[in-house]
Amino acid sequence: MPDEKRTMPFDLEALIAPFRGLPGVDIAIEAPAGVILVSTSSDAPTADAVSQAIEAGPLASGRIRVWGARADPGLTGAFLTALVGALARDGSADPVTAPRHDASARRIDDELAHGRRLQRSFVSLVAPDVPGYEVASHYEAAREVGGDFFDLFRLRRRGRPLSVVIADVTGKGIAAALLMAFSRPLLHAAIDHTKGPAAALERTNRILVEERRSSLFITALCARLDLPSGRLAVANAGHEPPLVARADGSPIECMLGAGPLIGAFPTLEIPEISTDLAPGDLVLFYTDGVTDARDPTGERFEEQRLFAAVESARGGSAQDVVDAVAGAVDRFQGSTEPADDVTIVAIRRVLAPVDARPKG
Amino acid sequence: MAMETTIERIEGPVPVTVVSLDGELDASNFEALIDAVRGLYDGGARRLLLDLSALRFMASSGLVALHSIVRIMHGEPPLDPEAGWSALHTPVGQTQTEVQLCGPLPAVERVLARTGLDRMFVVHPDRVSALAAI
Repeated sequence: MPDEKRTMPFDLEALIAPFRGLPGVDIAIEAPAGVILVSTSSDAPTADAVSQAIEAGPLASGRIRVWGARADPGLTGAFLTALVGALARDGSADPVTAPRHDASARRIDDELAHGRRLQRSFVSLVAPDVPGYEVASHYEAAREVGGDFFDLFRLRRRGRPLSVVIADVTGKGIAAALLMAFSRPLLHAAIDHTKGPAAALERTNRILVEERRSSLFITALCARLDLPSGRLAVANAGHEPPLVARADGSPIECMLGAGPLIGAFPTLEIPEISTDLAPGDLVLFYTDGVTDARDPTGERFEEQRLFAAVESARGGSAQDVVDAVAGAVDRFQGSTEPADDVTIVAIRRVLAPVDARPKG
Repeated sequence: MAMETTIERIEGPVPVTVVSLDGELDASNFEALIDAVRGLYDGGARRLLLDLSALRFMASSGLVALHSIVRIMHGEPPLDPEAGWSALHTPVGQTQTEVQLCGPLPAVERVLARTGLDRMFVVHPDRVSALAAI
């Protein structure tokens, strides 16, 4: 890396000015070095504001750090691409990606950690008491705040069926986390006040589309399990299909049948699909953090590895199956930092017959 | 985790702008794609063909991009995160024709089908048949 002072072919302050003070963007310039330290994985094109700023004029400077670039990849990505592009044309510096480790980076890390703790409090970590069934779950937040959540609760109606919600807000960062925080109780309330899972998703969609107008989508799956019979009704709004592993050893089933994700269309018209869980049968819900997980070479986990992981723990408890899948994803990723939240929920009807009917 | 975007303008009775995506469309670049299409619309493009034949992977944020692109090509107000934006007012089942797709690989096709966004688009097997049809 050259040490001598370089003249940049543009006004650095003018370039940065439009980006200063924006949420999640914290830019510090330290002269002189001729090194650009950036923390982003974005590869966005030049934004108009940036190109205008680049044309603005010359200024000498050196070391540039852009923190929190991940908070708004479109914006900071545009900035960085423009900056790096301008420097590459000038030949004065090479972009270097560096870990974030100074005070401002720590502050952002603290904020993200706080966001993750908050998010963690939104997912159901305490399973409800479900007589006759085992319930197990695994939730791991990505380093950035992601948008996964799940919810398990007994409905206050005849038979006290178990309601299962698993969902993923598209995108990441604070916006996704906020929409998630808003959607979870919305779905919960919709489930409480509608006839079934499909109607609950329809109502949630209507609220988000017409009344709240969100700029993000949610893939969500609602299921209702009638405990005495094992009848599982599922409505799926663009989410990964649940898998069913039967006690009889038949091939793992994929519960297909879905409508579009929440937030994109005025109505969903989701079909309600169902299956019966016999004693020993297990149903597995998951988010795309499982199948989209990458190994260090960039390969994706994909469904076949998920099936293999479920197969490997088949016959074990719900917890065994969840552990097998989570472990397989973890080993597969190796040192790769998870890009997305990973959520896995398994429900298994126990073999011993249990009378789950409520008394009275 | 990168994606290369190539833009071509095909002249004809109906000029078509072909946007080819090569790589992976995910949270790191979907906003860039939206910006690029907004630029094309502002530059006069009214028919868009998204060539997905080299797109190996599409994350859920890619769906947001597709949805936004349809909105932009319909001349609807640009996405404003402050103001929010309403759902596309195309009745479910009815496909628009301003934005069409061609050549999706099975992985991408699966995501489109699973999330129901395939119903928003005319999907052609390849670029040649797409351009012939448009």
